[in-house]
Amino acid sequence: MLADTWYLFLKYTKITMRMPLWTLFTLIQPLLWLLIFTQLFKNFVQAPAPGSGGGSYIDFFVPGVLIMTALFGSSWSGVSLLREITAGTVDKMLVSPVSRIAIVLSRVMHSAVQVVIQTLIILLVAWAIGANLNLGPVNLFLGMLSIFLLGVGLAALSNGFAITLQREEPLVMIGNLMTLPLMFLSTAMVPKPFMPGWIETISLINPITYAVESVRAVMIGTPDYQAYGFGLLIMTVFAGVSLSWAVSAFNGLRD
Amino acid sequence: MIRVSGLTKIFATGTKAIDDLTLEVKQGEIIALLGPNGAGKTTTIRVLSTLSGFDEGSVTVAGHDVDVDPEAVRCAIGLVAQQTGVDYFLTGRENLMTQGHLYRMAKADIEKRIEELASYFGLTDALDRLVTTYSGGMRRKLDIATALIHNPSLLFLDEPTLGLDIKSRQSLWQYINKLNREQGLTILLTTHYLEEADHLSHRVAIINQGKIQVIDTPQALKNSIHGDAVMLTFASQGPDVGEFTFAMHEDPTVQNVVWQNDNLYVYVDNGGEAVPRFVRLAEEKGLTIKSLSLAHPTLDDVFLKYTGTTLEETKEEEGEEWWHQWAGKGGGGGGKWQKNWEKWQGQLEESGSDEDKAGWQAQMQKWQGDDATTAAPAATPAPETPAQSEAAPAKPGDWQQWQQQANASGTPVETPEHYREEALKRRGNRQADGKGTPEQGDWLGGQDADKNDNNK
Repeated sequence: MLADTWYLFLKYTKITMRMPLWTLFTLIQPLLWLLIFTQLFKNFVQAPAPGSGGGSYIDFFVPGVLIMTALFGSSWSGVSLLREITAGTVDKMLVSPVSRIAIVLSRVMHSAVQVVIQTLIILLVAWAIGANLNLGPVNLFLGMLSIFLLGVGLAALSNGFAITLQREEPLVMIGNLMTLPLMFLSTAMVPKPFMPGWIETISLINPITYAVESVRAVMIGTPDYQAYGFGLLIMTVFAGVSLSWAVSAFNGLRD
Repeated sequence: MIRVSGLTKIFATGTKAIDDLTLEVKQGEIIALLGPNGAGKTTTIRVLSTLSGFDEGSVTVAGHDVDVDPEAVRCAIGLVAQQTGVDYFLTGRENLMTQGHLYRMAKADIEKRIEELASYFGLTDALDRLVTTYSGGMRRKLDIATALIHNPSLLFLDEPTLGLDIKSRQSLWQYINKLNREQGLTILLTTHYLEEADHLSHRVAIINQGKIQVIDTPQALKNSIHGDAVMLTFASQGPDVGEFTFAMHEDPTVQNVVWQNDNLYVYVDNGGEAVPRFVRLAEEKGLTIKSLSLAHPTLDDVFLKYTGTTLEETKEEEGEEWWHQWAGKGGGGGGKWQKNWEKWQGQLEESGSDEDKAGWQAQMQKWQGDDATTAAPAATPAPETPAQSEAAPAKPGDWQQWQQQANASGTPVETPEHYREEALKRRGNRQADGKGTPEQGDWLGGQDADKNDNNK
């Protein structure tokens, strides 16, 4: 199964490498947000983020933008699955003895790795415009691990929805409908004390919150590994549950 | 190689996609499933290639039950689906490589096999180009090559030449033939081109509404139509022509001879063999043949014979699917007209007064009379006509066809009673199946009756 996953992963990676522009396009939006929001809110949000040990809004906001990149980058994984189903590529895999789990897993892994690369680019830009982040190898790795797991979870959800809905239009609609509220109903943009009570409650059950918090815990100020560990645990559960749902949906594809 | 018995598959929508299908394919055989769109060809292939489940029956492919050991089946078969499942942004080699890995082949083996397949399909030069730069024919070849990467013993081809131009199509036929001849590959293909089935396959199964209507060699199927039509026009109309016509009547292979508009139509079992003989005979009699043409039976003719409907009609029904759904149908059954007609007949038979019946018979005779005058010219210009006359609504079209068949096969023209019997027989079959007859006033909304039709 792992070998199957690896070869399919290679295939998807090759395809992505053939159209690097597309990967760059998904970066435009988070980049714009990074540049515009940090400028826009610079004077508006004076208070330093709680628990971040001081620092400017940009420091607080960068992890949010990283998560946003993950959100935008991995939520469309399902669309390409539908295309592959229509094009007969999936049938071509299904008719071979390849592990069915590997088909989903390779797609999700590919998407998550792509997201990690994208967030690294964003990180580079953030560093260039003066964000003050912990970019040591350990903290960077931990942050990326968290983002990778978020990417796995989101891509798996997207694939699962794709199989359940079977159509591109509602899938795109759900993608659009989900991403923005997920962003704003989490602590990606504003720290908890700024939130109205009900949003704070929602943010508690929003996996995005934990992804952001775990990244913040290691990348801003003094690393808080306890908070990170909790966030990572939530991310692992999220990724695991989404993935098993996607796999079971895919197994049910056989009509 | 393939053993299917009593295979039934019902879609979630309630449509019976495959209806009690039984099929046996021997090793080294090319078998074609021939039928219109929606006949159940693709579904059958999907079931055989483990892509789809099924509701009843048993399916053994390459010695393994598809339900018990799908993995073993997958290793033994290759599938070329209707859509080209190759990745456009990979090169030909990468496509083949990926597929080889999916079958868990060793890298060296895959590389060797890629060279083999590429030279076989003439793709060597294109191997390292992106598939986006390939032509449609090349894509198909690559598609077939990926399906053969693991040396399967059985190959499924779903509409292999759909959307290809004539040249690519013929070239593909050669490859398919060669694969079978040289490598002993068993091939099951679906098509809706009679020509393709004829050219490629050892046996043809005509499939319609999820059932195999008949299965035989292409030649036997066509011969069962009795009617290559040879049309001859002579330069002059002398007594020699009469002698020639007489000689035609004497010929044992000739089914029927018809004079029409100064043209001589000769119906024979095998037109290809007959034409040289006719030409020689004409020369012996000192006749000059001004023109000669030969018309073969078409798919429509074969199809008509074994399914009672033409392909045209089936297509029309597909177009009316919304109507079927609206009326609570799941598809299947005959055309709308045919159903209403049969219902009307049923009503008449059960409740109609004597006057009604007499009127009905009169109408029948009138139509029959019309047919007698129109059928002769309609029958002569060869086998395209059944399809055209089928476009006419309701029953008279059918009669024309029977008449044409009768003409073509040389049997005497039937009486009105024959048609009546035929109609009753058709309806009777339905009754005998325990499906009942539609109730009175049950013109449109009769869901039960419609269901019965579908279960036919």
